[in-house]
Amino acid sequence: MERIHSLYLHVPFCTWVCKYCDFNAYAVLDGLIPPYVDALAREIDAAADSLPIGPIETIFIGGGTPSLLTIDQLRFLMDHVRSIGLAAGAEVTMEANPSNVTSKNVAGWLEAGVNRLSIGVQSLRPDALRFLERLHSGSDAMAAIRTSRTGGLANVNADLLYGVPGVNLAGWLETLDAVLAEGVQHLSAYELTVESQTRLGQEVRTGLVQMPDADDQLEQYWAAVERLEAAGYGHYEISNWSRPGFACRHNLAAWHYEPYLGCGAGAHSMFRRNDGSTERRWNVKGPHAYIKQASVSGHPVSGSETLSPERASGEAAMIGVRLLDGTAAARDFPVQRTQLVEAGLLAEQDGDVRLTRRGIELANQVGATFLV
Amino acid sequence: MSTPTHLTRAISVIAHVDHGKTTLSDRLLEYTGTVAPRDMVEQVLDQLDLERERGITIKAQAVRMLYKADDGNTYQINLIDTPGHVDFSYEVSRALAACDGAILVVDASQGIEAQTLANVHQALDHHLKIIPVVNKIDLPQGNPELVREEIEKVIGLPAESVIFASARKGIGTKEILEAVVREVPAPTGDSNAPLQALIFDAKFDAYRGVVTYIRVLEGTLRTGMRIQMMQTGNSFEVDEVGIFRPDRTPVDDLSAGEVGYLIANIRNVRDSRVGDTVTDATRPAAAPLPGYRHVTPMVFAGLFPTDTEQYQQLKEALEKLQLNDAALVYEPETSAALGFGFRCGFLGLLHMEIVQERLEREFNLTLLGTAPTVEYRVKLRDGTEIPVDNPDKLPDPGEIEAISEPMVIATIVVPSTYVGNMMELSQERRGQFLNMEYEPGDRVVITYRMPLAEIIHDYYDQLKSRSKGYASLDYEMVGFEEANLVKLDVLVAGSPVDALSMIVDRSKAQQQGRRLAEKLKTLIPRQLFEVPIQAAIGGKIVARETVPAMRKDVTAKCYGGDVTRKRKLLEKQKEGKKRLKRVGNVEIPQEAFMAVLSLD
Repeated sequence: MERIHSLYLHVPFCTWVCKYCDFNAYAVLDGLIPPYVDALAREIDAAADSLPIGPIETIFIGGGTPSLLTIDQLRFLMDHVRSIGLAAGAEVTMEANPSNVTSKNVAGWLEAGVNRLSIGVQSLRPDALRFLERLHSGSDAMAAIRTSRTGGLANVNADLLYGVPGVNLAGWLETLDAVLAEGVQHLSAYELTVESQTRLGQEVRTGLVQMPDADDQLEQYWAAVERLEAAGYGHYEISNWSRPGFACRHNLAAWHYEPYLGCGAGAHSMFRRNDGSTERRWNVKGPHAYIKQASVSGHPVSGSETLSPERASGEAAMIGVRLLDGTAAARDFPVQRTQLVEAGLLAEQDGDVRLTRRGIELANQVGATFLV
Repeated sequence: MSTPTHLTRAISVIAHVDHGKTTLSDRLLEYTGTVAPRDMVEQVLDQLDLERERGITIKAQAVRMLYKADDGNTYQINLIDTPGHVDFSYEVSRALAACDGAILVVDASQGIEAQTLANVHQALDHHLKIIPVVNKIDLPQGNPELVREEIEKVIGLPAESVIFASARKGIGTKEILEAVVREVPAPTGDSNAPLQALIFDAKFDAYRGVVTYIRVLEGTLRTGMRIQMMQTGNSFEVDEVGIFRPDRTPVDDLSAGEVGYLIANIRNVRDSRVGDTVTDATRPAAAPLPGYRHVTPMVFAGLFPTDTEQYQQLKEALEKLQLNDAALVYEPETSAALGFGFRCGFLGLLHMEIVQERLEREFNLTLLGTAPTVEYRVKLRDGTEIPVDNPDKLPDPGEIEAISEPMVIATIVVPSTYVGNMMELSQERRGQFLNMEYEPGDRVVITYRMPLAEIIHDYYDQLKSRSKGYASLDYEMVGFEEANLVKLDVLVAGSPVDALSMIVDRSKAQQQGRRLAEKLKTLIPRQLFEVPIQAAIGGKIVARETVPAMRKDVTAKCYGGDVTRKRKLLEKQKEGKKRLKRVGNVEIPQEAFMAVLSLD
């Protein structure tokens, strides 16, 4: 099995689960956090004993809202990671809700080893924040970015959402410009996606909410692409931009189809076997069940699947093609590649291929082509 | 076991579809103890899964019942269940030829319908004694008295002979059986005469070969006998003869008047044709029984595997299905758009649907069927005449002297309120009005002479919808007639799609072209690029529509578990696309090929 250098830790707790969110997140299960942290540490230890892992080059602590952890809890988890072996200069990202970004917390996070912060800004507009059920204000979010920087975090990402009902192109660009002016190193802009299982999904189904049409969504997307480029951010994945050298190493590794271990409730792992096949496995989703299973055995896996080498290379191409600097992953598919180039969805680049503008708009169609 | 001839009866149950024919047969089997109640499944005689699911009878079936009548005698009653659908009317005719009487079932709420009349006419042609039964009398919306009156006025059977029944509730079963033994004449054949047995059905058994369903009319059929099929001339040695109770049960012989089966190592149903006469090869009958007709397909369509690699499997599946379905014909066809497949001939639309469904289900194939067409006869300028069962094969207009198309006499039975609608529809469909008769019970029988092509193009559905479901239809072929027809071509993304071509009436061609293009626009899913759809007559474009390109299909997030989710979603979409046929660069769904059928 290929050695694992990336680790994802999931913290499934939130103060409030926003209506559009379909992540594995649970509101106000505060009392569960201490046993959960213990169980998570147990899973990290058990994985270190059973898998070829380390030294760890990238860690991503996501959620949920990992910034709800106390500094002690975070430090405790990082200690267990260090016992696997943490590479010098490793990238350690943590997601944070703007409300939690205080100078005291920033100092604690830095001290625990976090060196990259991903702040869930989403929008600066009060109407959009209300629609999205975010409990912070726009100025809270701006303050959070500023506090991280002044507190010594030199690598900050802001997550933004476009295509929010009621926010027009000008409104969206206003948010984007303000966040860029604050000087973040990295920016993720996601289209607000309606997932059927969410409350937003229900509201759209019943006609209570009307989503902007594809033309409006794409207009906001391409306007953002233009702004970000002009501001000196490199567009390296469909929804991600960074200042030179600040691309998220953790996500890049996954997009380059490198293996990672995911720990925590509902977390997914990906392993690469020597014969070229891929194993994906996932943990039990519910925090209660996770705590129970991880505490007993250290192995809270609930399911897995193995992809043959052929399917695995298809999946690698499906993901890799999202990287806009071009991907070598499509090399195994010369026929499909030619078709897509002829259809104007891919362009040749130094022997590899990258999505064209049209290809980005239809990236799923491109990705599906590689699935056998 | 053997019953004297004077205590033998052979009957059939005839009815319009859904009037309760098969349920009544079930009751008769139950009442006579032929099937124990615990073995009773709905529709005992319908053996194909498809028959039970759709609640229709496709193949004729036979069963022998023993009934102890009030007169103290035990009668042998042979019941032949017949298919109800107009596609299989020839099979009905042969089954009736094997009977001496018929139970006519009429629904108490629906009354007499088109196929009731068609069946009665057939039964009378075969000189059958008819026992009229008004069924479903337990339903609150029924009007048995009115239907009884209708039977007397329309069919001419005395009202007092009508039996009221509810097959579902078991009411009237005994009365029907008593009427059968009392009214239906005993067979008149001579068991010592040269053998004449009528084949009324045949099915293929993977282990035993063809099982031939017969009624012996003259002479005796024995195991070990050398028999000859009088139409095909082939001869076989009989391995087994038997009766249906309702499972196959071997007996030593079948004598004049009896119904049963024979197995004679026959490998293909083509050697055991419905309507043919079985005789003794060593002592043949002087002449075959009358009424044999070579069954000819009425509608034709291409069947293509959506996955070209399934061509060989499709070929083998058709071979196997044909063993059991003498009416199915096919020959290889190559379509520029759809690749390699088969041009198949069917008895009608239902038959076509059933064949496609059986091929997909029983042989695990994914097929694309093109729109059915009739067979045209094209007279060329050089004097020759050729049959054309595929619009794409229509010769160049310059070579054509005249085109003839098959015509039918259509009989519509409908409540008087809808007469206007029926006439309007039939007029639109190039119908020539022949006759109209008002019958009791507010019922009108209208007859039209019209092209078969119009009937297969959604006529029946239109008839139903424009009469709120009350109209019923029956039709019979009456030969060919010259017509002013042209070929309508369809171009998708600039390339002609041969499988979408159709032959239409010249005066309606332009309008049809526009409708077809509009319809295809709604049926062809958005592709990566814009897809123009054009309809053309003789190279001239008469309509154009455009399927806009797919605007956006991109997932915002692709992390961790998103990957699996997304891959599975895309794989599923890809699986769904297997039902689409790639023509050039465009993926076209099955429905698009059927669009030509319903352009109203």
